[in-house]
Amino acid sequence: MKRRKMLAAVGLAMAVALPLAACGSGGDEAESGPVELTVAVWSLASTPEFQTLFDAFHQANPDITIKPVDILAADYPTKVTTMLAGGDTTDVITMKTLADYVRFAGRGQLKDVSSLATSADAGKLAGLDQYKQDGDKYYALPYRQDFWVLYYNKKMFDAAGQPYPTNLTWDQYVELAKKLTSGTGEKKVYGAYQHTWRSIVQAISAAQTGGDQLSGDYKFLADQYRTALALQEAGATLDFGTAVTQKTGYASMFESGKTAMLPMGTWYIAKILSEKKKGSTDADWAIAPLPQRTGASGITTFGAPTAFAVNKKAKHAAAAEKFVQFAASAAGAKAIAGIGVVPAYSSDEIRQQYFALPGMPTDDLSKKAFTPDKINPEMPVSDKTAKVDTILNEEHQLIMTKQKSIDDAIKEMETRVKNEVN
Amino acid sequence: MADLLTATPATASAAPPPRARDRRRARRNTLIGWSFILPNFLGFAVLTLVPVLAAFALSFMEWDSYNPPEWVGLDNFERLLNDESTKIALRNTAYYALGHVPLTMLAALGLALLLNRKIAGVGFFRAAAFFPYITSMVAVAIVWNMLFNPEFGPVNQFLQFLGVDSPPGWTTSTTWAMPAVILTSVWRDMGYYMVLFLAGLQAIPVEQYEAAKVDGASTWQRFRAVTLPGLRPVTFLVLVLLTVQSFKVFDLIVVMTDGGPGRATLVLSQQIYRRGIVEGEFGYASAISFVLFLLVLVFTLVQFWINNRRERR
Amino acid sequence: MTTADTAAAPRARGPLALARRAVLYAVLALAALAILVPFLWMVSASLKRNNDVFTIPIQWIPQDFQWGNFTEIWTRVPLDTYLGNTVFLSLVITFLQVLTGSFAAYGFAKVRFRGRDTLFMLYIATIAVPWQAYMIPQYIMMQKAELTDTFLSLILIQAFGAFGVFLMRQYYLTIPDELCEAARVDGLSEYGIWARIMLPLSKPALASLALLTFVNTWNDYMGPFIYLTSNDLWTIQLGLRSFVGQYDADYAMMMTGSVLSVLPIMIIFLLGQRHFIQGIASSGMKG
Repeated sequence: MKRRKMLAAVGLAMAVALPLAACGSGGDEAESGPVELTVAVWSLASTPEFQTLFDAFHQANPDITIKPVDILAADYPTKVTTMLAGGDTTDVITMKTLADYVRFAGRGQLKDVSSLATSADAGKLAGLDQYKQDGDKYYALPYRQDFWVLYYNKKMFDAAGQPYPTNLTWDQYVELAKKLTSGTGEKKVYGAYQHTWRSIVQAISAAQTGGDQLSGDYKFLADQYRTALALQEAGATLDFGTAVTQKTGYASMFESGKTAMLPMGTWYIAKILSEKKKGSTDADWAIAPLPQRTGASGITTFGAPTAFAVNKKAKHAAAAEKFVQFAASAAGAKAIAGIGVVPAYSSDEIRQQYFALPGMPTDDLSKKAFTPDKINPEMPVSDKTAKVDTILNEEHQLIMTKQKSIDDAIKEMETRVKNEVN
Repeated sequence: MADLLTATPATASAAPPPRARDRRRARRNTLIGWSFILPNFLGFAVLTLVPVLAAFALSFMEWDSYNPPEWVGLDNFERLLNDESTKIALRNTAYYALGHVPLTMLAALGLALLLNRKIAGVGFFRAAAFFPYITSMVAVAIVWNMLFNPEFGPVNQFLQFLGVDSPPGWTTSTTWAMPAVILTSVWRDMGYYMVLFLAGLQAIPVEQYEAAKVDGASTWQRFRAVTLPGLRPVTFLVLVLLTVQSFKVFDLIVVMTDGGPGRATLVLSQQIYRRGIVEGEFGYASAISFVLFLLVLVFTLVQFWINNRRERR
Repeated sequence: MTTADTAAAPRARGPLALARRAVLYAVLALAALAILVPFLWMVSASLKRNNDVFTIPIQWIPQDFQWGNFTEIWTRVPLDTYLGNTVFLSLVITFLQVLTGSFAAYGFAKVRFRGRDTLFMLYIATIAVPWQAYMIPQYIMMQKAELTDTFLSLILIQAFGAFGVFLMRQYYLTIPDELCEAARVDGLSEYGIWARIMLPLSKPALASLALLTFVNTWNDYMGPFIYLTSNDLWTIQLGLRSFVGQYDADYAMMMTGSVLSVLPIMIIFLLGQRHFIQGIASSGMKG
């Protein structure tokens, strides 16, 4: 008995001592001379926007060189969580998702950058609101804001003799998709490809009906699920089960001409531009606004920002703040817009520059798609986001694989959110 | 923790403790024993045992991985009892282990017996059997999901050929996803355990087989009387490793179904990962691992005990 | 179907035995083919363009072979650095694991002392704790020791695992105690018994431990991912995953890399498996 107590005490002491001992050095505000700034990013090689930003920043601040900390995209949050727990002193941390941001900010691992967020330029930052914490504090500034549009393959529309998708409702979208579907077996082409993420149903209906994904009331999802299932039953999209289990890539579906329409985020523009340039696809593409609910006025879509934050234990906090501010400024926006990435900083000048990119479709419909009337958040942010996300995702799979009816699954979402999320 | 262990039949080992009549010899043996164990134990204790103990301590605390932990007593365990996802994960894990352990064991032993002979090209066949273990997990998941595809997958086409009217939906069905995962994992792991069995078969002296043959024992009798007893320590090793591996299964499930559809293949390791890393509740995640640990410990102790009783007989 | 058949086989040489052998080969070949299907998919994917990897239904033979993938990968990522790092880590970890594991196993299997079995249970028990549970405390310790982002951190964590001890102990149990007793009478010290008697007798077990440790280290992803940050320390598994981006992945390149990374393991396996030939251990034991 005595020994057990002792062991417990030792274990306890260790557990308590661990985080305390992990305290690193704080940031030194008054710095001069050359600085090497470390920035945690994901998949540096396949995400050219980071290097582009670093180069532009270094040009503007020649005494600061940037050393990227390259982390694999798939497990980025795992590694950053572990690093920060250990008291890592990497200066700038990229916030891959809002849910991650809330967690890191909530633990006090990020430096308060509210002063930057209230400056004049910051008013032009799309998605900034979503980083507001505890009333009026900001711990990160967005540099990128992606939102959803409808990609389409002009050649396939022309071949089927269908007009390009202007002002579609979801019902029209389904009908159009049916008409654009043809062939069987290896030759089969689909009218639309709905990727497997839950956002494609849930975030769209939340954005367009005004429903709240954290509310615990999910009846607003029903219409959009009926649309998604109708599309699937008509064989006008690749069936969900197959898409999930075969890890179907939306990019290869679209670029190899397997689908005529693809609702997807604007991040895909940069990718398809570079694929066209390399000559690995001949898809004749353009974008249109996302389909809307019947009777809706204006274009409502959803989007998600990406941001940079300063580590509270940063070695070079002042330089880090400079970088975060630069990335969110007009200069930073110009740099990343140059490679097809949609910056959070929005102005007419940037938009013009964006549509002047070689290979970018310049028709009016594409331009209209690029200026939606309203971009709602993909998912509201709170400390419950991660949990609700898991539940909604699990029930989404059950509906889409037809293991549960829409109504049953919605009821289940409501009970589970009530029971499992405090 | 040490009390927990000594209170079990673990002390009744194959080797009876030395009699007190020669205390000096006992002390000398202890010194010698520890001198063998120490090089490994030092690394093990500092780098594995200490963090593991810290994790156990954390299961009684609330911790966000950064700020000082807060003592909450048994709160995490109480929560565990009411957390439906954890209960489902526990059930799924047990289901998986019940399928995976015996099937892999049989497949691995069968392969080892089949390939423990001097025939031309045996190296190639052994390598083939081992290949699933080193094939990229993504490739494994893709191909098996394709084989199990409800519409055009070969598995269901074969079942339809046999006259099954409505073959299962496999990984897209809540009922059949787990069997599909189990079959895939047996296929993947059997070569790994075959290697252990192959090495074990080498330790059985040929003389024993020859003696049995002279006595007129049939193939099956020789298997029962010579092979099985000779393999007992290895069988115990494989059984424990397999049990542990089954209860900790993570990678294959993440790549193949990611716990879905719904929560049909959600397992404990995933739940620990989600509650800990994803949702930031490390105390609660530690409590789940504690339960997982206890489960495996009970299984292992029972096996240890049965094994020792057999050995003494 | 037992090993005894092996001994009998060379003697029986009739038409019946030949037929049996033919059937055996047919069964083995068929089974091998079935087992290798996912590997064949991997090879096929490594020779495709990325957009052609996931076609439905599966296309087994690429439309036009992208042999260029196998040269392109070396310029896309520093694969030679990754390979070198992986070889180094795998060799060092395997060597230490086999050495300390077999040494400790002798203490657990052949020396009798108080508390031995309790200690042994402690070893096995820790294998049961999932790494996700203690990953962060372990990392914090390493960070405190300023060992993160070094090979040493990974070597220390993986070289002293319980796996090798457990495996070797079980094999030592199959070796009769009388052999040790005889050696003791001859005046050999315990260390001498380990080095001169146990090690040579446990060659198949050592081979299997080395093989499995090597493969596990080679294929480990989470360990290197958490502990190795600098790109010039990365292992091959990290290199492969670097083809996965935020929204998409280059699976063709991943499979090309996977095929390349399997080749060294195959060679190691073919070399190692030769120790599993019936008779080595038993002839040693006659002496």
